[in-house]
Amino acid sequence: MSSTSKAMRQSFGLRFASGAFLTFWCVIAAFPIAWIAIMSFKSPVDAFADSPWAVIMGPATRANGDGLSILDIVIGLVVIFFTIRWAFTKLPALVNQYASGPMLILGWLIGAAVYAVIFLLIFFGLLPLIMGPINGLLGPLGEPILGMTTQHYVAVWIENEFYRNFLNSMLVTAGVVTISLTVGTLAGYGLARSGSDFAFWLLILALIFRALPHSVLVAGYLPWFINSAEILRPIFGDLSPTLYGQPWAVIAVLVSINQPFTIWMLRSFFQNIPAELDEAARVDGCSHFQAFRRVIMPVMWPGVITTGLFSFLLGYNDFLVTSLLLDAQNQTMVPAIAGYFNRETTTTDQVEAVAAAVSITAPLFLLVMVFQRQIVSGLTAGAVKG
Amino acid sequence: MLKKLALAGVVSLMGTTAWSACAFENTVEVKSLSAGFEAWKAVTDAMAECGNVQAELDQEFRTKQPAAFEANPSLYHIGGVSNGTVTPLLNSGTIRPLDDLVAKYGGHLQPNQLIKIDGKVMAVAMMVNTQHLMYREDILSDLDIAVPTTWDEVYAAADKIKAAGVVDYPLGATMKSGWNLAQEFVNMYPGFGGALFNDDNTAAVNNDAGVKALETMKAGMPYMDPEVLVSDSTYVQQQFQQGKIAMANLWASRGGAMDDEAESTVVGKVKMAAAPLAMEGGAPATTLWWDGIVIAKNITDEEADAAFRVAMEGMDEEMVKANNDAAIWLVKGFQPGPLSEGAIATATASPAAPAYPSTSRMGLMHTVLGNEIPAFLTGDRDAAATLVAIEEAYTTSAKEAGVLK
Amino acid sequence: MKFKTFATFVGPSVVMMILFIALPLISVFFESFKVTQPIMQQVEVETCTPGFTGQTCVTSVKTIPVIGDDGKVETVTQWQGLESYRSVLQMEKVWAAIGSGNWSDILQIDFWKALRFTMMFTLLTLPLVIGVGLLIALTVNNAAKSFKGPVIFISLLPFIITPVIGSLSIYWLFVGDGILTAMMERWTGTNISMFAQAWTIELLMYFYRVWHVAPFAFVIFYAGLQSVNMDTLESAVIDGASRLQRLRHVIIPHLMPLIVFIALIHLMDCYRVFEEIVGFRSQAHVISLQWLTYDFLVPDDAGNRAVSRASASAMLTMIGIVLLLIWPLRRTWKEHRGGAH
Repeated sequence: MSSTSKAMRQSFGLRFASGAFLTFWCVIAAFPIAWIAIMSFKSPVDAFADSPWAVIMGPATRANGDGLSILDIVIGLVVIFFTIRWAFTKLPALVNQYASGPMLILGWLIGAAVYAVIFLLIFFGLLPLIMGPINGLLGPLGEPILGMTTQHYVAVWIENEFYRNFLNSMLVTAGVVTISLTVGTLAGYGLARSGSDFAFWLLILALIFRALPHSVLVAGYLPWFINSAEILRPIFGDLSPTLYGQPWAVIAVLVSINQPFTIWMLRSFFQNIPAELDEAARVDGCSHFQAFRRVIMPVMWPGVITTGLFSFLLGYNDFLVTSLLLDAQNQTMVPAIAGYFNRETTTTDQVEAVAAAVSITAPLFLLVMVFQRQIVSGLTAGAVKG
Repeated sequence: MLKKLALAGVVSLMGTTAWSACAFENTVEVKSLSAGFEAWKAVTDAMAECGNVQAELDQEFRTKQPAAFEANPSLYHIGGVSNGTVTPLLNSGTIRPLDDLVAKYGGHLQPNQLIKIDGKVMAVAMMVNTQHLMYREDILSDLDIAVPTTWDEVYAAADKIKAAGVVDYPLGATMKSGWNLAQEFVNMYPGFGGALFNDDNTAAVNNDAGVKALETMKAGMPYMDPEVLVSDSTYVQQQFQQGKIAMANLWASRGGAMDDEAESTVVGKVKMAAAPLAMEGGAPATTLWWDGIVIAKNITDEEADAAFRVAMEGMDEEMVKANNDAAIWLVKGFQPGPLSEGAIATATASPAAPAYPSTSRMGLMHTVLGNEIPAFLTGDRDAAATLVAIEEAYTTSAKEAGVLK
Repeated sequence: MKFKTFATFVGPSVVMMILFIALPLISVFFESFKVTQPIMQQVEVETCTPGFTGQTCVTSVKTIPVIGDDGKVETVTQWQGLESYRSVLQMEKVWAAIGSGNWSDILQIDFWKALRFTMMFTLLTLPLVIGVGLLIALTVNNAAKSFKGPVIFISLLPFIITPVIGSLSIYWLFVGDGILTAMMERWTGTNISMFAQAWTIELLMYFYRVWHVAPFAFVIFYAGLQSVNMDTLESAVIDGASRLQRLRHVIIPHLMPLIVFIALIHLMDCYRVFEEIVGFRSQAHVISLQWLTYDFLVPDDAGNRAVSRASASAMLTMIGIVLLLIWPLRRTWKEHRGGAH
C-alpha cells in the first residue's frame, strides 16, 4: 500500500504495534537457528551448558586455548559488515557485468557461491593466520575473552568427509529440480489449457496422492529396489541394475512424490497466462508444442523459478526416502546428520552434528538470498491464485 | 582435534617400528554393513587397511540388512550383527556356516568368540556389552554409602543422595519409550525369576514377577529426571558427564565417555559395579549382549574367503591394542581396565545374567513392551491392566507374524 | 486441446505418479485385506554365546521359519477380510468403553489416541498458521521499504530449514535444563520439565509447526497483498470504512483463494504429522497416525514387521485425509465448473 496516500497514513500506535510484532516475530524466527550456530563453535561442555551466558562466552572452550580477543571480535565484525554490504552493492554489479538475460540466474548462483567461498577462506583461513601473531604482540588486549573453535567443522568436513555427502546432496537435488520442472511444466501447461473433467479428476487424484503418508510408500519400495536386479533379469539380462543405492532411482522417487504439488502450482500459474497468447500463435499455424515453446516458455520463468525452489527444498531436505534407499557411498547430507544422533553417540558427535547441521543450512541461506525477489514476484505473478 | 590425531600418529609410528597395516593384500571387492558405534569404527578401519574394502556404518542397518542379504547375489559380504539382529539372518538362512573358514584363517580366535548354532559356527563375536551400575564414587564415599548391589539398596542410596542434594537427580535411566524402555523391563523381569513366554509361544508376563518388575521400575521415577521417558543412553551419558546424576544402570560401551576429558566434567570419578540384583539370590537384573560378524550365503566361495580374511584382520590383536577402551573386547590382547570391572563382574556373577534371548517372538514382545509400558509409568494405567494390555497386544502381533496360530 | 495432445503433455508426469505412487497405493490397499506369514516350525536348537571368560550353551525350543528348496523362507498368504482393520480399530473395546461410560478408556487404544492428537493438531494449527501468516504479511507490507528485504529473508528461515534440524534445534532449547527451560525456571522459581507431561510436549509441537509453516503462509499472502486492487481500497476509504472493515471486506475476500490454498496444503501436511513425534521423542505421551503406521512397519530386532496392520492403518489415514479435504475441494470443483474453458 503506497504511503503517499494521505488517507492510508497510519497512526503512530498502529505503526509501533506493527513494528513491535515484526521484531518479535523475527527474533522467534531466527533465534533457534542462530542458537545452534553459536553452539557449533563451542566445545561439547560449553555447547550443552545450562546457562545461556556459558554457551555464548564458552569458558571451557577458552580454557582449551581456543578463543577470540577483543581485537579479533572487532576485526571480525568489520569483515562481516563489509561482506554483507558488498553482497548488496558490489556483487550485483559484478554479476550483471558478466551475465545477462537467461544466464542471469546461473550467474547469480555461481556468483553467490564464489562469494561465499571467498568469505569463508578469508574469515576462517586468512584472519586467524594474521591475528595469531598480532594477538601475541598485544599482550592483555590480545588475550582471548570469547571461547570459539572451528574444530567441529574441521572434524565434519575433513575427517568425516562430509563433502562427499554434500556432493551427493547436490547431485540428487539438481536431478530432482531439473526433472521435476521439465515433467511438471509440460503437465501443468496441459492441465491448464484443457478444461475437461478428466483433467480436473486427474488433479484431484494427484492431490490425494500427495496426501499419502510417505513412510508407507518408502517401506514399500525397499524390497523392490534391493531385488530389482533379480526381478528385471528376465527382461534386461545381465544389464539389469540394482536400484537400491542409485541416486537416479532416488531422484525418480522424489520427483514422483513431488509431482502433485508441482503440477498444481504450475497449472495455476499457466492459467494466469492469458490463453489468447498461445491461441494467437496457434492461429499462425503453430502446433501446441510450438506454441508452448515460442510463446509460453519466454514468459513462464517467474513461476517456474518459484516452483523450482519448492522442489529444491523437497529434494535437499528429504530424510525418509534418502535414508532408506541410498547406501553409505551415495548418502546425502540430511540422513548423514541424523546418523550422528541415532547411533551410539558421544557428546562430541552431537556437537559435530550441530556443526554439520549449520553447514547444510548455509546453502539454503544463499539460495533464499539470491532468489528472494523471484519468490515473491513469481508468487505474485499468479502461481498462488488457488 | 586434528593436531592431536597427527601427534598420536607420530607417537605410534615411533613407538612401534613393526607397524604393519594388514597381513595380506586383498584383491577381491568386499563390502560390509554394520551399526556405527565406536567399536565398529575401529574394526572396519582395521579391515579397510587390507584394501578393496567398502565399509558402511549405517543407522538403518536393522532395516536394510535382512533384505540386502536376501538378494542374490547379496549386496554385502560381511554383516555386523548383535545377538538381537542376527536372528532375521539366521531365520531366513542368508548367512553361511563358518567352520571351514575358521579352521583356515581363524587360528588366533578365542574359543568363546565362536557363536555356535547346533554345533555350526554361524558368527564370530568380537565384544560383549551389558547394562551395569555406574556410580559417582566421590558422592557415595562422601555420604558414606556402600556400593549398592540390589535395586532396593540403589533406591535407599538414591534417597540419601536426594536428601543431601548434591546432584540434580540421584538416578539416571535409559527409559526412552520404545526399545530402551522395553529393554529395562527385559532386564528387570527375569531378575525376579519371570519367564516371558509359555512353551506354546503365548505371553506369560501377567504374573507376580511382572507386577514386581513394573513396580520396581516405577519406584525409581521419583529419583529421576521427570523427562526420563525421552532419555536414551546418550542423554544419560551426558547427564553423568555434566555431573547431574550420581548413579545409573548404563551400557558398558558408554563407560569410556566418562573419562573423556574433552566432554566430561567428572573424569576419574565414575566407577563401575555389577548390575544390581532384583531380588536376593537372583541373577543381576540385566542381559548379556555380543556384537560380531557374519558372512553372507549368496556370494561366491572366493568372495567369502576374502571377506572372512579381511574380517579377521579387522578383529586382530593389533586393533584391540590400539582401541583397548572402545569396548569390552573378546579378542586376544584385551587388557581389562577399571572401566570394564562392572561388565566383567556382571558376566561372571553367579547365578549369571542371561544372554538376551533373541527369537522372533522376543522381537515382537520387545516392541509391544516398548509401546505399552509408558502408559503405566505416566500413571494412565495400573500394573495389572498394563500386563493384560501387553499380553493382548503381543497376541495380536504374534498371530499376524505367524508365531501364534 | 485434443486428448492426444493433452496426453502427450501430461504423459510423463502421470506415468511417474502411477509407477511410484499409484501402484504402491494399490498394493497397500490389497495388503490391508490379507496377511502373509512365514510357515513356522518348532525345533530344538543349541545356541552357544560368549560370556566374558567361557561360553554358555543353551538348548531351547525355538519357533523358526521353514526354509524352502529355493533357499527362501516359505510363506503363506491368506485373505482375511477386515481382520487387520479390526485389530487396528479395536471397536469392541471402544463400544465397551462407551457402554461403561469410561470415555477416556478409548484413548488407551493406540489408533484412537493417535487420531485424537492428529485431529487436534491439524485443526488447532490451521487457524494459527493462517492467522500468524496473515499478520506477518500485513506487518511486513507495512514496514519501511529498506527493511522489507532482510525481514522477508529472516521470516523465511523457519520454512526453508531442514525439518529434522529445525525440530532438533527447538528440542535442545527446551530439553532437560535447556536454556529456555532454565530461563523459565528462573522467572517462575519452580522446576519445569517440558518433556515430562503430555500437554507441554503438545504445546511445543504446536509451536514448532506454526513456527515452521507460518512463513509459507506469509510469503503466499504477501504475494497476494501485492495485487490488492488499490482502487477498491481507496473507494472504501472514501466510504469511511475503518481499517478493520477494509481488512474484512476488501483484503480478506481478495486473499480468500489463497487462504483455501494454504488450508488445503496445511490439512494434508498436518494430517501426516510425523517429524514432530520423532524429533520431540513424544511416543510415551502422544503419537500420530503416520507414526503409528511407521511403527508397524519398522522391523524389530528379529526382523518382524506388521505389514497388514500398517497397510490398514495407512488406508484409514487416507480415508481421514479425503474426508478432511472434501470441504476445500468442493470449492475447487465449483470454480472448475464455473470457469471451464
